[in-house]
Amino acid sequence: MQLNDFFEPYKGETKEVAIGPSGKAVKLGGEQTLPFHAFEGKEGAPVRFALEVFDAPPEGWPEHLRSSYADVLSDPVAWADKCTNQYGADLISLYLSSLDSENADPTKIAEKVKDIADHISVPLIVLGVGDKDKDAKALVEIARVCTGKNLLLGPLVKENYEEIAKAALEGGHSIIPQSPLDINLCKELNVKLAKFFPKERVVIDPLSAAIGYGIDYSFSIMERVKQVAVIHNDEMMKVPMVANIGKDCWKTKEAKEDKTQGILWEALTAFTLILAGANLVIMRHPESLKLVKKLVSGKE
Amino acid sequence: MILIGENIQILSKVVSNALKEKDEKPLQELAIKQAKAGADYIDLNIGPARKDPEVMKWLAGVIQEVVKKPLSLDTTNPVAMEAGLSVCKIPPLINSASGKQESKEKMLPLAAKYNCDVVLSVLIDAGIPTDSSSRAEAIMETVAYANEIGIPNERIWVDPIMMPISVDQPQVVELFEFMKILQDICPGAKSTLGLSNISNGTPEHLRGILNRICLAMLDRYGCFSAIVDSFDEELVKLAKGQLPDIKNLIYRAMDEEVDTSSLPKKETDIVKTVNVIMGRSLYSHSWLET
Repeated sequence: MQLNDFFEPYKGETKEVAIGPSGKAVKLGGEQTLPFHAFEGKEGAPVRFALEVFDAPPEGWPEHLRSSYADVLSDPVAWADKCTNQYGADLISLYLSSLDSENADPTKIAEKVKDIADHISVPLIVLGVGDKDKDAKALVEIARVCTGKNLLLGPLVKENYEEIAKAALEGGHSIIPQSPLDINLCKELNVKLAKFFPKERVVIDPLSAAIGYGIDYSFSIMERVKQVAVIHNDEMMKVPMVANIGKDCWKTKEAKEDKTQGILWEALTAFTLILAGANLVIMRHPESLKLVKKLVSGKE
Repeated sequence: MILIGENIQILSKVVSNALKEKDEKPLQELAIKQAKAGADYIDLNIGPARKDPEVMKWLAGVIQEVVKKPLSLDTTNPVAMEAGLSVCKIPPLINSASGKQESKEKMLPLAAKYNCDVVLSVLIDAGIPTDSSSRAEAIMETVAYANEIGIPNERIWVDPIMMPISVDQPQVVELFEFMKILQDICPGAKSTLGLSNISNGTPEHLRGILNRICLAMLDRYGCFSAIVDSFDEELVKLAKGQLPDIKNLIYRAMDEEVDTSSLPKKETDIVKTVNVIMGRSLYSHSWLET
């Protein structure tokens, strides 16, 4: 009798999603077991880590975060290079903070995104600011200008998913539908998207919160999404998940007031959500990234 | 199954205006229509009625002028409840008392005093219990108290409190678990619940199918009655056993995984709805489309 005889195989396998153009694509998901349960089934692609780059110099960052990027804050291309070459990011997540300015021009923004995507050696995630109209305008334009680059575009919400997803479909990109910490609404958006958008190009964002600021809600929902996908084989939920945590971690008082505390706050928020089932984590501080990578690898 | 018609309720504009104006016509019409549609009890939901508790007396009076059905007096205000009780010719149903201290002290004794049936919900001071065993714990305590003051199990209609499936699907599953054990923990007790609450928050055009199928499932678990939309014709037929084919399909879907590939749309929808209510598939507003 072998150990395997005691296991009942899981029914569901999450879709494997490839981000980035061929040659530098990175795969997400494809697992047929719960997080870190390699002994029960196929683990799929390893958890991937993205570092954030802003397309306009960020404001309000504490010095112990700023200092890691002090020389590149106003040059997104150099910033992205630093994240990949020096800090070991698997992907770059470009935050379109310039959309917040009065005279934001989607065409110019899209050109800039293209420059970055062309230049960097890793796949690119492009995230709007969470304003449904501004995001839709910019992301649709970016999808067109960057055709064929297989960007990961988001967030898509129930008010703007149709136009962004259509543009992403035409431009050959992947998307991040986002739902407001509600597993039923999460499924609802997936169902609507599945009518015209391939699931192999979807990474869902059930919305992440930082430690001490509601992470328990995020954890329960992500955990349930993974269970519903892997254990119950729910067709609509078998997609990888992203935990976008940089923003929420670095606005906490705890992260802002002390360097060690901030790094731990972000690293442990990331690790907690990886335990819940995140396949991709978007982070901000290079040292938090290093720490959580070490934790996940189990070395040392 | 005993049906309590929910259509005279304070949240309806017609009803709240008629109550304010003491205009009996629209209220009497609603009662007559419900009785005709098949309601066994007519629920009179006047809300807390803080300003005018006497309104229950007036309402019960005008309704029993036109229908010969027992009334279900629906208010959380014990003063309004007693005002209604004092005029009922057919013993009414007190809807409802709970395990909250205040309710035990002021509402529950009315059932003993007027010798009538009472809805007793699982609600306690700590809130609505979140799983089947805490529901059991809560109701056993409240029922024991009711027995002590002279209300036997047979006059108690236990309300397990239905939660909206769009908000908390696991709670619906827990409610069914509770219904399975109710007769073991409170032998002889009856049961009822606000059925339409399951579809609260669900898109309007999909509420009916959820309500109907949930009712048939509850019926199978021995649920004695439900507070329902009397004007849902199919629901009333289903509850009265007039749609055996649908009922059988629902039961079959509860017992086994039914292959829907060769079923017509209507039957496929029934199976999908059973699966969602049983917690086998994750709820979304488009559960019929997947």
